[in-house]
Amino acid sequence: MATEHPHDRLAHVSDGSAALRVSPPVIAPGHTFESVTDKISGIVLTKRTPIGWFFGFAIAFAFLMLLNLTIGHLLMTGIGIWGNNVPVGWAFDIINFVWWIGIGHAGTLISAILLLFRQQWRTSINRFAEAMTLFAVACAAMFPLLHTGRPWLAAYWLFPYPNTMGLWPQFRSPLIWDVFAVSTYFTVSLLFWFTGLVPDMATLRDRAQSKAARVVFGVLSLGWRGSAKHWQRYEMAYLLLAGISTPLVLSVHSVVSFDFAISVLPGWHATIFPPYFVAGAIYSGFAMVMTLAVPLRKFYHLEDFITMRHIHNMTKVMLVTGMIVAYGYANEAFFAWYSANPYEGYMMMNRMTGPYAVFYWSLIAINAAMIQLFWFRRVRDNVALLFVLSLFVNVGMWLERFIIIVTSLHRDFLPSSWDMYAPTRWDFAMFTGTIGLFLSLFFLFIRLLPALAMFELRTIVPQAKVQAGHHG
Amino acid sequence: MADVTTYAAPADLDRLRTRALYAGVAGLVVCGIGLVVDRDHFFRSWLTAYLLFLGIALGSMAFVMINHLSGGSWGVFRRVFEASSRTLPLLAILFLPVVLGMGTLYSWTHEDHVQADEVLRHKAPYLNVGFFLIRALAYFAGWILIAWTLTRLSKRQDEGDMSVNLTLQYVSGAGIVFYAFAATFAAIDWIMSINPHWYSTLFGFIFIGGQGLSALAFTIVISAWLVRREPMAALLRPSHFHDLGKLSLAFVMLWAYFNFSQYMLVFAANIVEEIPYFIARISHGWQFLALFLVIFQFAVPFLLLLSRDLKRTPYRLVMVAVWLLVIRYIDLFMLVAPEFDASGANLHLLTGEHESGFYVHWLDLAAPLAVGGLWFWMFLTQLAQRPLLAVGDPYLREALQSGGGH
Repeated sequence: MATEHPHDRLAHVSDGSAALRVSPPVIAPGHTFESVTDKISGIVLTKRTPIGWFFGFAIAFAFLMLLNLTIGHLLMTGIGIWGNNVPVGWAFDIINFVWWIGIGHAGTLISAILLLFRQQWRTSINRFAEAMTLFAVACAAMFPLLHTGRPWLAAYWLFPYPNTMGLWPQFRSPLIWDVFAVSTYFTVSLLFWFTGLVPDMATLRDRAQSKAARVVFGVLSLGWRGSAKHWQRYEMAYLLLAGISTPLVLSVHSVVSFDFAISVLPGWHATIFPPYFVAGAIYSGFAMVMTLAVPLRKFYHLEDFITMRHIHNMTKVMLVTGMIVAYGYANEAFFAWYSANPYEGYMMMNRMTGPYAVFYWSLIAINAAMIQLFWFRRVRDNVALLFVLSLFVNVGMWLERFIIIVTSLHRDFLPSSWDMYAPTRWDFAMFTGTIGLFLSLFFLFIRLLPALAMFELRTIVPQAKVQAGHHG
Repeated sequence: MADVTTYAAPADLDRLRTRALYAGVAGLVVCGIGLVVDRDHFFRSWLTAYLLFLGIALGSMAFVMINHLSGGSWGVFRRVFEASSRTLPLLAILFLPVVLGMGTLYSWTHEDHVQADEVLRHKAPYLNVGFFLIRALAYFAGWILIAWTLTRLSKRQDEGDMSVNLTLQYVSGAGIVFYAFAATFAAIDWIMSINPHWYSTLFGFIFIGGQGLSALAFTIVISAWLVRREPMAALLRPSHFHDLGKLSLAFVMLWAYFNFSQYMLVFAANIVEEIPYFIARISHGWQFLALFLVIFQFAVPFLLLLSRDLKRTPYRLVMVAVWLLVIRYIDLFMLVAPEFDASGANLHLLTGEHESGFYVHWLDLAAPLAVGGLWFWMFLTQLAQRPLLAVGDPYLREALQSGGGH
C-alpha cells in the first residue's frame, strides 16, 4: 500500500469499490534504495554482456556500415545517386530529417515539461528518452549536411561567421533559423542529459570493480560527492535547464514547419503547420519511446520500473497528440475546398486520388483511424500490441512527411513541369543506415551508461517517503 | 470535512447577482436604442461582446473535461468552471441577435452578391443561410448536451455515487473531440466568414486558445473574490492560484505563438488570397491597435506572470486577470471590427475598394455590458446552486492539500 502513488491511495480511501480504475503504480512494490541501485547499475557494471545484446548490436552495426558506405559513395559521386529530380528537389533528405527531428521531441517533452508539471512517472523513462533525443537529432543532422553534397562547405553556407567576402546567410529564410534551432536543441539536450547523469556517474564510480571503469566514471562524475551543497546546485541547474528546454519543444518543430509553410506552394503553405508539426513530433517521439521501452523492459526485466503506468500514460499522450494530427488532416482537407483556390483543391485531390494516393490513405488509416484503438483500456493493457502499433505510428508519421513533401512538389502550378518521384536504392540505404546509427548508439548507451535514472528512482521508493522531505 | 460544511456560496453573492442583472438590463436598453439608431453597429458590437462570454463558457467547459481526464490540483476550481459552462443555454438565446443581423454581418447571405462573386459561388454549399443555422443549432445542441451531462454526473458524484467517475471520463474524452471540431467550425462561421474570401487553417486553434485564456482569467477573478469570503477563504491556498497563474502564462504564450505563426506565414508568403486580412489590420490606424495587442496581450502579461509571488497572491493575480479579460475583448474587436467601417457598413458588401480607418463606437461599450451583465447574472445563479467544491471528487482531498511546499 505504502508504495503506491497518492492518486491510488486516495481512490481506495474514498470509495473502496472499484469505482475508479486504480492506476498502476509508478514503481512496483517492495523496492528499496539498494535494490534500485543494484538492479540498474548491475546492467552496466556486469562483466558479462548478454548474448542478445551482441546479436542486436551486430544487426544495428551492419546498417551503420551501410550508412558509411552510402556516405562514401555520396561524397565521391554526388547527390545524383539519390532519386531527387526536378521538380522534386527535396525528398528523402528532408523527409528523414523531419522524421528524426520529430522523434527527438518526446525526450525533451518528458525531461522538461513533465518535470515542470511535477509528473512523477517521467522518472523511469526520462534518461533513455533523452538519449534517444540526442541520437535522433544526430541522425537528423546527417541529412541537411549531406544533402549539400559537399558537407565541408556547410559551415561556409550556414553559419554566420564574420567573413571578409561579405557572404552572409539569408537570415530571412527559415532554413537558416533551422540551423540555429537544431543546434540549440542539440546543445541544450546534451547538457540536460549529462547534468542528469552526473549523480549516477558517481554511483557507478563508487561501485565499479575495474580500475578503468573507476577512472572513466570518476572523470565523468565531475567530482560529485553527494554533499548537500552539490544536490542544491544540481537541483537548481536541472530546473533551469528544464525551463530553457521547454520553449524548445515548441520552437524546434515550429521552425521546421516554417521551412515548408513560408513558401506559397499548395500543401505547404498552411498557417496550421507549426502546432500541427509539433503535435506530430511529440506523437512520433512517444511512439519511438514505446518502441524502445517495450523490448528494453522485457529483456532487462525492468517491469518493476517501467510499469504499466508508464505504458498507459505514453499511450494516452500518443492519443492526444495523434488526435491533434488527425485534426490537422481534416482541417487541411476542408480548407483545400473552402479556400476556393483551384491549386489548393487540386493538391488535395491529387493526394487523395493521385499516383501517391495509397500512401495518403495508409497514413490516414494509421494516424487517424488506428489510433482510435488507444481509447480502449484493453488495448492500453496489451504491451505486445502496443509495440506493434507504435511501429505503425513510426511508419505513419514517415508517410505523412512523404506525402506533404512529395505530393506538393511533384505536381505544382505548371503541368508542364510535373514529374514523378521514386527513391533509389541509395535513398533507402541512407535512411536505413541512419536507423542503424540510431540503434547502434542506443545499444552502446544501454550497455555503458545507466539507462534509467537511479537517483531519481530512489526518490519514489517508499524509503524516500519515510525520510521527510527532500525531493525536487 | 464534507460533513461540517456544505460549502455554500457566500451570502453577498445575491447582491452581486442583482447588480449584474441591473447592469445587463441597462446595457440591453442602451443596445436597444443602438439597434434603432445605429443598426449596423449594433450587430457588429453584439457579435464581438457575445464571443467574449461564449469563450469563457466554452473554455470553462473544456477545462472541466480536461480536469476529469488529467486530474490536477486546479480541480478545486471545478465548480467555477462548471457554473460557467451551465450558462450555455442563455448564450444560445443571446445568439439570436447574431442570427437576426446575419444580413449585416455576413455578405454571403446576399444572393445577388454571391452570384456576382466566383469565390462565393464556390463556397455557397457551405456558406448559406440554411446550413449556417443548422450548424449553429448543432454546435449549441452538442455543447449544451455535454455541459448538461457533465454537470448532472457531477451532481451524482456529490451525492456519493462513485460509479459516475468513469462515465465522466468517457464523456469528457468524447466531449473534447466534439468541442474542438465544433469550435473550429464556429470560428469559421461566425468570425472568418465575415471576410468570406479569407481563410487561415490556424484560425480554429486561435479561437480555442483564446477561449482557454478567457476562461482562466475569469476563473481567477471569481476565485479571488471567493477567497476573501468563507468557505473558500479557509480552503484555497496560494498554490491553487499559482496553478491558475501558470496555466494563464501558458495560454498567453500560446496566444502569441499562434498569432505570430499566422501573421509571419501570411506576411511572408504575401499572396492575394490571404494578405488583405492583415493589410486591413496593419494600416489606417489599426496598426497601433495591433501593436497594443502585442504589448498588452503578450509582452506585459507574460513578464508579470513570470513572477512567482504575483501568481501566488490572489489580489495581485486578479489585476492581471481582469486586464486579460479586457484585452481578450479588444482582441476579438480586432478580429471583427476592421471588416466594417466607421459608419458600420460591412466592407464586403460595398462595391469597389474600401478600407476602414480605426474607430470605436459607443455600442462597443454597451454591448459587453448587456451580454456580460446578463451572462454574469446567469453565472452567479448557477454558481450558487451547488457546493463550491466538488465534494464527491475522489481527488479533492489531495487537490486541497497539494502544493504546500512548491
